[in-house]
Amino acid sequence: MLLQQFVNGLSLGAVYAVFAVGFTLVFGVLNVLNLSQGAVFMWGAYVGLEVMRTLHLPLAAAMAVALLAAGLLGVLSEWIVFRPLQRRGAHRWMGMVGSLALARILIGAAQEVFGTQVVRYPDGAVIGAAVDLWGVRVQGLQVVALAVALVLVLALGALLRLTNFGRVIRTVAFSETVARLVGAPVGRVRVATFFVSGALAGGAGVLWSLLFQSVSPFMGETVLLKGLTVLILGGLGNVAGALAGGLLLGLVEVGSVVAVGAGYRDAVGFGLVLLILLTRPTGLFSSREAKRA
Amino acid sequence: MIDLYYAYENVIDLCLLNAVLAFACLLLLGVNLLSLATGGLMALGAYLSIWLTMQKGWSFGPALLAATLLGSLAAAGLGALVLRLRGDYFAMATLAFTEVVRILTLNWDSVTGGALGVFGIPKLTETWQLAALLLLVVYLVWAIRNSAIGDRMRAVAEDELAVTASGHDVARLKRALFTASGAIAGLGGALAAHLNMFVAPGDFGFLRSMDAVLAPVLGGVWNLFGAAIGAAILTLLPELLRFSAQWREILIGAVTLLAVLFLPTGVASLPRRLLRGAHPGRIA
Amino acid sequence: MPYDRLSRRQILAISAGAMLVPAVGRAQGASVAKIGLVQSTTGGSAALYGTEQKQAIELAFSEINEAKALGEIRLQALHADDGADRGQTVNIFQRLIRQDKVVAILGPTLSNSAFAADPLAQQASIPVIASSNTAPNLTKIGDFIFRTSVPEDQVFPSVLGYAVRKHGVKRVALIYGLDDALTRGAHDVQKKAAQDLGLQQVAVESYQRGDVDFSAQLTKIKAQNPDAVILGTLAEEAAAILRQARQLGFDERIAFVGCNANISAKLFELAGPAAHGIIVGASWFAGYDNPKSRAFVDAYRRRYGSTPDIYAAQGYDAAYLIAEAIRRARTVTDGRAVRAKLAEIRDFDGVLGRYGWSPERDATVTPKVLVGDGQAKVFVAAPAV
Repeated sequence: MLLQQFVNGLSLGAVYAVFAVGFTLVFGVLNVLNLSQGAVFMWGAYVGLEVMRTLHLPLAAAMAVALLAAGLLGVLSEWIVFRPLQRRGAHRWMGMVGSLALARILIGAAQEVFGTQVVRYPDGAVIGAAVDLWGVRVQGLQVVALAVALVLVLALGALLRLTNFGRVIRTVAFSETVARLVGAPVGRVRVATFFVSGALAGGAGVLWSLLFQSVSPFMGETVLLKGLTVLILGGLGNVAGALAGGLLLGLVEVGSVVAVGAGYRDAVGFGLVLLILLTRPTGLFSSREAKRA
Repeated sequence: MIDLYYAYENVIDLCLLNAVLAFACLLLLGVNLLSLATGGLMALGAYLSIWLTMQKGWSFGPALLAATLLGSLAAAGLGALVLRLRGDYFAMATLAFTEVVRILTLNWDSVTGGALGVFGIPKLTETWQLAALLLLVVYLVWAIRNSAIGDRMRAVAEDELAVTASGHDVARLKRALFTASGAIAGLGGALAAHLNMFVAPGDFGFLRSMDAVLAPVLGGVWNLFGAAIGAAILTLLPELLRFSAQWREILIGAVTLLAVLFLPTGVASLPRRLLRGAHPGRIA
Repeated sequence: MPYDRLSRRQILAISAGAMLVPAVGRAQGASVAKIGLVQSTTGGSAALYGTEQKQAIELAFSEINEAKALGEIRLQALHADDGADRGQTVNIFQRLIRQDKVVAILGPTLSNSAFAADPLAQQASIPVIASSNTAPNLTKIGDFIFRTSVPEDQVFPSVLGYAVRKHGVKRVALIYGLDDALTRGAHDVQKKAAQDLGLQQVAVESYQRGDVDFSAQLTKIKAQNPDAVILGTLAEEAAAILRQARQLGFDERIAFVGCNANISAKLFELAGPAAHGIIVGASWFAGYDNPKSRAFVDAYRRRYGSTPDIYAAQGYDAAYLIAEAIRRARTVTDGRAVRAKLAEIRDFDGVLGRYGWSPERDATVTPKVLVGDGQAKVFVAAPAV
């Protein structure tokens, strides 16, 4: 049974990881917490659903469209919330409140457009295949989720480390002022970062909906809190940390249900957050002394 | 007319209560502290007061005092731990606190009634109590803002580093404000519980904390009546927009967003701005 | 002429008119019975149940008004959506009672909301008939609270008994929602029924409202090898559990036994073929072989284009019951009188069958055991043992 729970935890964690990587990316590069990420997650799931339901396109197309739409929503939050606030030199908490307000609008809009009921992806989307290995049932879907998470994160890592644009992004992450001084296209970096993080959130949304066959306007709210937990676990701004933290959180959550029952499951996560914030605010996986702690 | 009052008594009471809580958050926002601990502190006050009035037979006054005390103690303790954290971390720590409290109340059946909460709480909260409390809180906030402490708060909001560098104990100021807000939250929780006649863990979670913070933002952080106006807006909108919960959400989100973007001084300053043709971005 | 004194004829005319006005006013006011219709039409799963009841009650009222069954009294439903938020329910009850001066209330949708708001109606002597509250102890709030939604403890024991006889169940696992009065109540009833039947409880798992991932709980349950899994959940969670159980490779022969709240078209919509075989008990189902029921189903289909669910049926009967009480009491303002007449009703011929009130003011409907048909996507009468 424990091995099965391990698999359960990993696939849950994979989705958390994808979501959190986008979240932490924006923080790492632009030093803001985009709390509309949860709503974008939800919208990604719905867009993918509509593409399959209404346009009758296959899952791959739905995923692609969802990624694109979510990315655009990410850019929207940059344009509407963060850019004006930054230009004004407003304090950080205004960005948090502003992005939460945007999230509220997006959730209300989703209810209006898609209805308030829980729905699910059509049967054809879900990969029903499963294989039994050593008494553990591994579903095709779980493998796919894990694979997608790894691929997305590795691709992002490659982008950041190996490409020119990645270097520009890292410059901006180091200091936006310095980047401007050396003539880096800061505006483009901002847009690209928000686009990627939005796309990641949307992709996570589609994965979540497939894994759990559930899409609802409120699905982003809990995931947002989980994303924050992963951020703390992995270290704000640490992409690899977000991946590891996401997987860890998935395992911890499943483990909590096994050990203490569902009622305390979230307490374990938040308890960890408090513990880390009080002892090692830069996260479990950060080695460097973060200048921002 | 009396019937109209009775019909809307609950809404009026909620407005007053939310305004009181909003002022607690107002104090903290004044030094750029985004605290999401309001929900958790309210929960502590609420459950303690219920336990005292229902299980121990205390009368309302002492129970309220106990709740206020617990709120301030908890805030003081929490503050000692988390006030040193930077803005984002601080907000998240307070959020984690609220959530942990919520989950504890969710599972501690014997004391808190667990997930189902507590029903049949005696309705001891009266409108005059809430109104009196609101006036008291407004006076306090006004007094603070017009004193040396108020000046220091504004200075901290502008440039915390400079204030610390010139030798002021900013940490102590923050701790005092946080404790005060905890006292108000604890008291507010007790009043809320005896107003609605029921409580459940879900009543004091993330959403509660967010609404408490939104009110002063909507109304205007630097405006004395802003918190009350913001609270009134947030309480009345569900009533007015009863026909559509979705549009209510969209509208609240949009108004908040506009408030954050264009009116750092909040909705309450709108008339003045329109009349003066104010300069954007200047703190009034 | 205008400056002269009014002629005698004019004075007569005016006074006659003046005397008629209050009479007309009184007649109009006196013949409309305002009934609060507190059903959630937004707010998650509650909206499923709430919308069905609202539609059924409105159907009933229009039938009653058209047939003039109450003489000159017309029924007017004042609908308010509480969004499944019991703070709103309390506000709504206050407004309906104090401002709109309703003579009765039908609802609210959720048991949670009922516990919060019903005390107000009880205090104000306004009768309430619930048609979707199945949590235990609801009617203990007071003698003005009635319900046509049969509580779980009247239904589940027969359902579990059936499962035991049909599938030889000895070991059971239970899973339930922690933070909802309905699911908690259902769980308590289910636990007791399992104990009473001498079954071994090999696992008890829980979840929180809104959870979608049950793999951890289901894996624990699977490891214990139960013969049956008992669900104390709402329809969405039941659907997710059924699906995920299949995905995790639960043995085909493991029976799933559900509760009242699982009975919804949503279950089939979300669970698909995984819902096949789930055993539930209900006061009613769409295929019920009863003339009143068939007429109701036809009327509902014609008006709304869909098949009514159990809550619609219970709401429909609630509407007719309150109408009958008002008819007997012959008042549109006296809540106390309406309640008295309501409590007297025995042998009511409703959509749910023929029944009356128990001493606790629950409808004494005979439960029917049903099985989910994954293909037809409906519940059908359970095959005999």
